[in-house]
Amino acid sequence: MTIDHTSKKSTSKLDVVSSEALVIGGGVAGMQAALDMANQGFKVHLLEKTPSLGGKMAMIDKTFPTLDCSACILTPRLSEVSRHPNIELHTYSDVISVAGRVGDFKVKIRKRARYVDEDKCSACADCVPACPVEVPNEFDQSLGFRKAIYQPFPQATPSTYTITKLGTPACREACPADVNPQGFISLMKEGRFHDALRIFRKSNPFPGVLGRVCIAFCEGECVRGELDESVSIRNLHRFLADYERKHGPDRPIEAKIDKDERIAVVGAGPAGLACGYHLVKMGYPVTVFEAQPEAGGLLRYGIPEYRLPRDILAEEIDWIAKHGVKIKTSSPVESIKSLKKEGFKAIFLATGASNSNKLGIAGEEAKGIYHASDFLERANSGKPYPLGEKVAVIGGGDAAIDSARVAIRLGAKEVTIVYRRSHVELPAIPSEVEDAREEGLNLLLLTNPIEILTSKDELRGIRCIKMKLGEPDHSGRRRPQVIRGSEFTLIVDNMIIAVGQSVTPKGLHEECDCSEWGTIKVNPLTLETNMEGVFAGGDVVLGPATAVKAVAHGKEAAISIDRFLRKVNVEADRIEERHRVRVEEVDMEKPTEPRVDMPKHGVAGRIQSYTEVELGFEQESATQEAERCLGCAICCECELCVEACTREAIDHKMQDEIIELPVGAIVLAAGYRLYDVSDYPRLGYGKFPNVIHAMEYERLINASGPTHGHLIKLSDGKLPKSIGFIQCVGARDVNRGVPECSRVCCMYGIKNAVMAKEHDPEIDVTIYYADIRAFGKGFEEFYNMAKDRFGIKFIRGRVGEVMEDRETGNLTVRVENTDEHAIQDIEHDLVVISPGIQPPWGLDVIASELGLELDETGYVPVKDELLAPVDTTIPGVFACGCVDSPKDIPDSVTAGSAAAMRATIILSQAEKKE
Amino acid sequence: MNNETHTPSSDFAKEIALIPGGEVINKCIQCGICTASCVVACVDDQYRPRRLIQKILIGKRDEVLKSDQPWLCMTCRMCEERCQEGVSPAEIFHAVRILAVKEGHIPKVFQITVEKVLCDGWMLADAYTDFNEDEREDLGLNPALAWNDTFTKKVKKKYLAGEESA
Repeated sequence: MTIDHTSKKSTSKLDVVSSEALVIGGGVAGMQAALDMANQGFKVHLLEKTPSLGGKMAMIDKTFPTLDCSACILTPRLSEVSRHPNIELHTYSDVISVAGRVGDFKVKIRKRARYVDEDKCSACADCVPACPVEVPNEFDQSLGFRKAIYQPFPQATPSTYTITKLGTPACREACPADVNPQGFISLMKEGRFHDALRIFRKSNPFPGVLGRVCIAFCEGECVRGELDESVSIRNLHRFLADYERKHGPDRPIEAKIDKDERIAVVGAGPAGLACGYHLVKMGYPVTVFEAQPEAGGLLRYGIPEYRLPRDILAEEIDWIAKHGVKIKTSSPVESIKSLKKEGFKAIFLATGASNSNKLGIAGEEAKGIYHASDFLERANSGKPYPLGEKVAVIGGGDAAIDSARVAIRLGAKEVTIVYRRSHVELPAIPSEVEDAREEGLNLLLLTNPIEILTSKDELRGIRCIKMKLGEPDHSGRRRPQVIRGSEFTLIVDNMIIAVGQSVTPKGLHEECDCSEWGTIKVNPLTLETNMEGVFAGGDVVLGPATAVKAVAHGKEAAISIDRFLRKVNVEADRIEERHRVRVEEVDMEKPTEPRVDMPKHGVAGRIQSYTEVELGFEQESATQEAERCLGCAICCECELCVEACTREAIDHKMQDEIIELPVGAIVLAAGYRLYDVSDYPRLGYGKFPNVIHAMEYERLINASGPTHGHLIKLSDGKLPKSIGFIQCVGARDVNRGVPECSRVCCMYGIKNAVMAKEHDPEIDVTIYYADIRAFGKGFEEFYNMAKDRFGIKFIRGRVGEVMEDRETGNLTVRVENTDEHAIQDIEHDLVVISPGIQPPWGLDVIASELGLELDETGYVPVKDELLAPVDTTIPGVFACGCVDSPKDIPDSVTAGSAAAMRATIILSQAEKKE
Repeated sequence: MNNETHTPSSDFAKEIALIPGGEVINKCIQCGICTASCVVACVDDQYRPRRLIQKILIGKRDEVLKSDQPWLCMTCRMCEERCQEGVSPAEIFHAVRILAVKEGHIPKVFQITVEKVLCDGWMLADAYTDFNEDEREDLGLNPALAWNDTFTKKVKKKYLAGEESA
């Protein structure tokens, strides 16, 4: 707060710099103040926190004591404000800071991104059916649902849609390839599997392949994991691929190559294929060169068939080829220069890292010792190495587990993993380890081989030593340390070394600048090498990594190559600024539910063959698993609304905008909030479905509400026969720090009771009160009419407690009828609590910016309650509506006009000066 | 309504307000939430805490002090918990009992009970039979309850010396 209070000049000598005004709050009081100032010719900024003007009055069904339709009174006002040439609306905006003094305030506001262009949107609602995300509708007091793209109510002003988006969900942030799990899962919930698959394929062409072999970083970060278990994201996109295989694609694939610059990709592994796929989608002709007889790279030669059936891989490669990627197998590339000579304008190197690392101990060349990559490649090409009965696999990564499970399938009786760290550090996919153990794999953890025992150059056994874990090393894993004297011998027939892979020492990549590990040096953002027009990605850059990282590189390289060929800056704006949704932002109040189990091929059968172990979800279990997604970011960015919108009004990249308004006066009309009646456990709100509060009741009886005006019980949807209204809750209660009367509850309570009778005269209606304060014009008459004409019962006595009959859901109200000195237990089937009103949330923040000290109940104190009832203690800042005390609608509007007049007295001095 | 509702017939409420715990009595607005929350009122169709406070407020000094009703409060303080005006009927009735005792109005049953305890050392001496004695013995407890006697004697000597001599 930097408001300058030192200049206490008298108003007549004020130095008024700006003749504009700011009204904070777009409810009925704020709108009145804005209109009154604007009609005098002053420019007014009207700031509203929610997406629409209208405030609480827009939610109310009828007004008291006249029983007018609230919306009918308000709507003309809304359009008058929105069309007024002197009023500038800032909806969905917050005050950030206020500086300056009366006549010369500088107010910084944040206009939150609504992701819909207010000027382009015509509120046609075409986007609504496209949106797969449903959230409770706050405007209907969360009784009904709305979509993530929404308009709070039909007459919302400005007439535009808004998207509720918290940021980027953790799953998407975790995925190197920027797959949008929340997006495809949201569509799966609705059974829109083809749409869901398209979302996946926007960033990754391998839904089925990675649905089987992905390490699933997303699942590690999934917020559902904080509640029970993370969502099976990988299995869900595998289901999408399975679904398409079963039902066929819904749209034909068309190759659209409309550009001339030819691009060469070297290596048909995941990186190369992904790069080719993204480039052909942009229209470039792409040729992928592969030295091996078949495409797929490590997916084909490194991953055993029981994890990734070859037809799945072949189909997804074929799918890429159908988009126009030419794949030339058995075509080793001589040199980068030769490619350039052939006329390729850009080259992407993705030759992988298929060279197995060595253990670095004596005897490694003995017979019977294999390296994992050779071993797997041979097994995967149908020419496996011979194995004895006892096999040891050194290492703990996926290649080690794969080798071990292949060894089991080749008939080895005893297969043991030797790994130097513990179970926790084991880098392989945990479910794979679990499956392998079911198949009979032994794990020898915290053990390291130190010597290979041979006889006549043939493997006989391994000398091992026990390890313990010390301090974490640079990789964050605890460094294993030798336990002296713990050596022992493991008798084995074969040993498979799976301690990582590296880039082959010789090859195409040598033409580029390489690191000391033999990998190609690239710009990590753009994947450019030191040679112009040559890009590199995947394992040849990363060293041995994961398939999804390779796919990510392919995608990034495609973006770079496109930019390079279009001769635009390759590096600019590559990193999008995104907000990762934090755990505490997510609604976690859901019942816990474990993951859906993945059906698997039985152990006895599967170790005999290479048939797939994981069988995939059925449609029902996939939908069930998808339902577990918490939808962290609310909007899932499936961008189907963008497709549905014919006016191109939706922009998911929209950013918050911060602007500074120079104003001469400020009117505070921030409104109020209802007391949270769940603070009274004895009344059962939040516990018993048929106990509701007055604003929920307003929405239930409102024709545009969630039930279209049908007053129903929330427990069973039936019409209530007997309603009890409980007054003085969250008001006049010294024990809860709300000693004041809220001034409106008596009358709105009576109005609500009358409305119940208007809906159905047969309903029995009772009001429980301490005393009825019918102080305004026509109020007493209204009260009497309620009693005499409508037959509403008034029982004087505050309610002790509300009890529920568990079977019927009916409620018993215990009260002392003080007129009869009798304790009565009265049964109702609906109880409506009339909450008191409170200063709004966030008023304290605005107040501290303004330098205003709120009174002990949280309201804005006025300078003089009798003679200056709308002046706050800060010169130039005025209050109206409920920010200084509870008011009904007419009083709020009166205060709005008064505040406008007080403000224009200041603003008009600026005019005189000009 | 009759006139006495509006004009207290005595200064009884002021008198109660002077006793610690009784100060809050004038805040009562007679809403009845205390009665509606009272576990005693639930089972006793005479006991009505709001009504009792009303009687204090309208000045029915004699009727209240001589009544058994202020003695029926169990001091569970549910009324105090729920009262929205900050009144504690439990405290008020405690204040009433202090005044009643000073003026010698103690319900017979309370007198008998206190005398019994002071005499026997415990309330249910008459109910103590051979059977209990055996049971206590079986449990390895001292069957003689004379130690309670000793305790009350000590109490009497220390605090009620005058009464004992009298």
